[in-house]
Amino acid sequence: MTRPSVRIERRLVQRRWLPVAVPIGSLIVAFLAIAVVLLVTGHAPLPTFRRLFDAAFVADGALTNTLISATPLAFTGLAAAVAFRMRLFNIGAEGQLYFGAIGAAGIALLLAGQSAWLIIPAMIVAGAALGAAWGAIPGVLRAFAHTNEIITSLMLNYVAALVLNYLIFDSLSYWRDTSATGQLFPQGKTLPDAATWPTFTLGSVTVPFGFVVAIVVAAVVWVLYTRTRFGFETQVIGDSPRAARYAGMRTRRKIVAVLCLSGAIAGIGGASQDGDFRHVLDARGLQQANYGYTGIVVAALARYNPFATVLVAFLLGGLENAGYTLQGADFPSGLVGMMQGIILFAMLGGELLVRYRVVIERSGSVGAAEATT
Amino acid sequence: MRGVTKRFPGVVANDDVSFEVARGEVHALLGENGAGKTTLMNVLTGLYRPDEGKIEVGGRPVELHSPRDAIAAGIGMVHQHFRLVETLTVAENIALADRQAPFLLRGREAERQVELTAEALHMPVDPGAKIWQLSVGEQQRVEIMKAVRSGSRVLILDEPTAVLTPQEAQALFRTLRVMAAEGHSVVVITHKLHEVMEVADRVTVLRGGRSIATVRTSEVTRNELASLMVGRDVEPERRREPGEIGEVVLEARGLSARGDRGVDALRDVSFSVRAGEVLGVAGVAGNGQRELAEVLTGLRPASAGVVEVDGKRLRDGDPRAAIRAGVAHVPEDRLRTGVAPSLSIASNVVLKSYRGEVSRGPFLLLRRIAARAAELIRRYDVRGAGPHAPARLLSGGNLQKVVLAREFSSRPKALVVAAPTRGLDVGAIETVHGYLRDAAAEGVAVLLVSEDLDELLTLADRIVVMYEGAIVGEVDARAASVEEIGLLMAGVA
Amino acid sequence: MNDGIVVVVLAAAVAYGTPLLFAALGELLAERSGVLNLGVEGMMLMGAVIGFLCVQHVGGSAGVALPIAVGAAAVAGGGCALILAFLVVTLRANQIVSGLALTIFAGAAGLSSYIGNDFELADDPARFSFEPLNALGLGDLPVLGPVVFEQTWLVYASWLAVAAVAFYLWRTRPGLNVRAVGESPAAADAMGIDVTRYRYLHTVAGGALAGIGGACFSLALTPQWVDGLTAGAGWIAIALVIFAFWRPDLCLVGAYVFGGLSALPLILQARGVTIAPQLFQALPYVMTILVLVLVSTGTARRRLGAPAALGIPYVREER
Repeated sequence: MTRPSVRIERRLVQRRWLPVAVPIGSLIVAFLAIAVVLLVTGHAPLPTFRRLFDAAFVADGALTNTLISATPLAFTGLAAAVAFRMRLFNIGAEGQLYFGAIGAAGIALLLAGQSAWLIIPAMIVAGAALGAAWGAIPGVLRAFAHTNEIITSLMLNYVAALVLNYLIFDSLSYWRDTSATGQLFPQGKTLPDAATWPTFTLGSVTVPFGFVVAIVVAAVVWVLYTRTRFGFETQVIGDSPRAARYAGMRTRRKIVAVLCLSGAIAGIGGASQDGDFRHVLDARGLQQANYGYTGIVVAALARYNPFATVLVAFLLGGLENAGYTLQGADFPSGLVGMMQGIILFAMLGGELLVRYRVVIERSGSVGAAEATT
Repeated sequence: MRGVTKRFPGVVANDDVSFEVARGEVHALLGENGAGKTTLMNVLTGLYRPDEGKIEVGGRPVELHSPRDAIAAGIGMVHQHFRLVETLTVAENIALADRQAPFLLRGREAERQVELTAEALHMPVDPGAKIWQLSVGEQQRVEIMKAVRSGSRVLILDEPTAVLTPQEAQALFRTLRVMAAEGHSVVVITHKLHEVMEVADRVTVLRGGRSIATVRTSEVTRNELASLMVGRDVEPERRREPGEIGEVVLEARGLSARGDRGVDALRDVSFSVRAGEVLGVAGVAGNGQRELAEVLTGLRPASAGVVEVDGKRLRDGDPRAAIRAGVAHVPEDRLRTGVAPSLSIASNVVLKSYRGEVSRGPFLLLRRIAARAAELIRRYDVRGAGPHAPARLLSGGNLQKVVLAREFSSRPKALVVAAPTRGLDVGAIETVHGYLRDAAAEGVAVLLVSEDLDELLTLADRIVVMYEGAIVGEVDARAASVEEIGLLMAGVA
Repeated sequence: MNDGIVVVVLAAAVAYGTPLLFAALGELLAERSGVLNLGVEGMMLMGAVIGFLCVQHVGGSAGVALPIAVGAAAVAGGGCALILAFLVVTLRANQIVSGLALTIFAGAAGLSSYIGNDFELADDPARFSFEPLNALGLGDLPVLGPVVFEQTWLVYASWLAVAAVAFYLWRTRPGLNVRAVGESPAAADAMGIDVTRYRYLHTVAGGALAGIGGACFSLALTPQWVDGLTAGAGWIAIALVIFAFWRPDLCLVGAYVFGGLSALPLILQARGVTIAPQLFQALPYVMTILVLVLVSTGTARRRLGAPAALGIPYVREER
């Protein structure tokens, strides 16, 4: 009576090629799955992929649009990566981005008439500051009251959305456009021209300033995490908070610091939305975009590595961009979300193979036959 | 069990082991730490699958794919680390294990059943109490009742006396003999020779994953067993010679502290340790020793009292202050507290010192860290992995070497060591003891907290005994007897 | 009197709280087995869209189509949960990221939207929907009438569900087992309980209940399909479970409190009251945070708190 049993054991030897091969394999699996879904619902997969790729990267202006979609994702992705790496699951990038946008818009309006050299850095600082402040709340609650940061940061997203709504729709706040049209159709005050962030032209591609800032932030984060004492401490705390305390590290301060950093990065993303793209505090648009949540997907796919995060943000930005461009009767909406989800599933599943191996064996006394996958 | 082999990556835990127990017998499984006893029993209880070998119960072969199969085959185990659900009550925990419990639970009925079982086994316990409210000894009783209620005919106990006073251990042995007389088969896993001689009918010795011999306890001497266990002629470890003792380095006055359960774990504890002296702290686990070590090293705030290092008051509840003051700490839980398990050995080596020479400003000097790690690995003979491998790959002994290497390299004034040789094999134990001797010889004040009386008697100059959070006695290690200390451990004045 | 604002709010609280209650009960089951299901929002949306799809296309009268639609919603939610369970229990993936992935996959820019568009579900209102009953003819009683006796079948079903879950957890063997699994899977495993099976079953059951919760939206509250219909109800349900200290009876209370708070601004606006609605709308979220802080302090944690093994994958042969 032999019954094959499957067991999962932790790998002790990490083969070199695994961390590279597995993500690629997962991507292939993901695309196969997506193709199946498309087929089942009556769309031809290969042409659809082709159109997506074109709309994302090849067509006229595609790269520019992709960068527009990618910039916020780079920020929220970095925000998530910074925190998740330390096992602090900050889901509040969404709300932190909103507050960053509020802060940046407010400062831009305040400094109307000043030169761009003053306004733009001020926007970045204000965005970071407010984002950090909003991120500090779950940080403090986690550090000092042991409160689960997942739920608190999530709840604060909703509160932040409500604040946005209040400022633009239900009050006569500083941010609101109080002109005649503004009274009828609630919207934010247009930001001064000097608050428009510059762009850089590389051939046919227009690179927004925000994207450049995101790359700089990624570099700073990388140095911070791999080469400084701060990074070392976060590594230890993420791995074993008890060991960190034992070693005399100030864990509570670090938790708050990391969440503030995460919030600050998301906040700069909000500032970028104001300065690079929308030029107004766009309550509705920001809420519809879901940058914060998508950023988590970006960070997870990038395995929390800062540079990979920017790259994945670029790729997913392409996907989002293609999704908008192609939206219409014959292109399934919702495909973007589904693709993201399936890719993420495949990556998560692939993670298993990197850390564990699957052992199939026949039970009984006839020795063990091992098959590794 | 016949020809059982179990391999883990990097080690063969059980190598063609054969082992059998008769009905109504108490059979001891003897071996030092790392010999493969627990692994073998985990195979028997379905937690591990053997790579080779057969198991028969009552003459019939069984296939154990999971603990459920083992329980169905009548095999029950009381683990060293209890498998109880802390937030449930005693009755609920026992109901979990009870194969005949009905689909619909009836609370009071279950509790009454528990009371009956407890009486039959002479082990009183409150069925409605939640597990986290019970003492360790009481929890063990629940574990035993669980095994009985799950209908096991074979009862395995893994190092059961580790958490008991000598007197409680006696009570346990009486219970085990009662159970054997009623037809149960009892297996006791242990590394303590005197237990084997006291309670077992037969004993099987494991060494290095192999079964070496099975003999009747009536036909063998302790020394013979010891030789079999270790594989060579055993000399008991030499007692440490008293060294030069200097000024008072570490002093505690009137220390009190709250424990995890909200109750006072430390009550007005006072003592002092001098340079070059080893002060042993004895006591059954759970009487405040862990909390004492935590207070001395800043991991736990004190509710009253003062700790002084070299005459200067130590800031309360601040591990960094303790480290700066020169208090080194080798913690009880070396894997979860003493190191960051997924980080490299090099990172762990600088776990406390990363702010010093290996960094410049906010930046780390990675090459210097790697060099320091390589040097310490060489000097302390850490084997099993290179400086960039994650720490959790190391065996217990090598991990402890890393911890010791790190703590010593900071040139401490005082060293607080808790259960340093728990789970280590004889070779590693010798090595660790060697380092402790060296530390004392170099003038470090050593506070040695241990449940192993032999260890304390070998290394310490003086021994204090803790019971229910207070120091109930102090003895001269070189003059005291085990009985005397045992009585103090049990709270008998 | 039954038109007074208090009664109206209470009745609305029950109606609006019902989807939250279903979803929270489902999440409670999953979390009791140790699985933190962050995909609830996605599962609710899938339940809503599939339920709506059925009601539009299944032949027969309301009495036939509606139960089938609810059943289909449950299957849809359960199916999503099966994916999550596979990822999280078998593949041992990070539960938080997996749950979020599922919500993105099935949620407002994902599969539910895909289905909604492909079948053009947004075009028409539901053919049938759950109407409030006049149960036992007692609909005219003061206060109790509208609040208790003039609700839909879904509401009454939710009460049954609360009782069933409570009974299950505390009075049956499997319920005890699942509580053990959530607190200490190692202990449960050593006692022969199949941790994997329990986690799968409870996660899928949780998803099914979430699906029914989603159907409450598309088949009763706003009998229509809109992209992203549930508007975050799934997340509130997750918070609700914590608010309720992982107890079904408190889930009921919490769901109605939250339901009332979300219905209140609409009712006030309808009556011409001009307090900024955001204040009320923010209350549920702020309250959740406060409750969470309370629950998380040391001793409270042990007495009232989360299943200890929540969110941690279980591997038996961990070295």
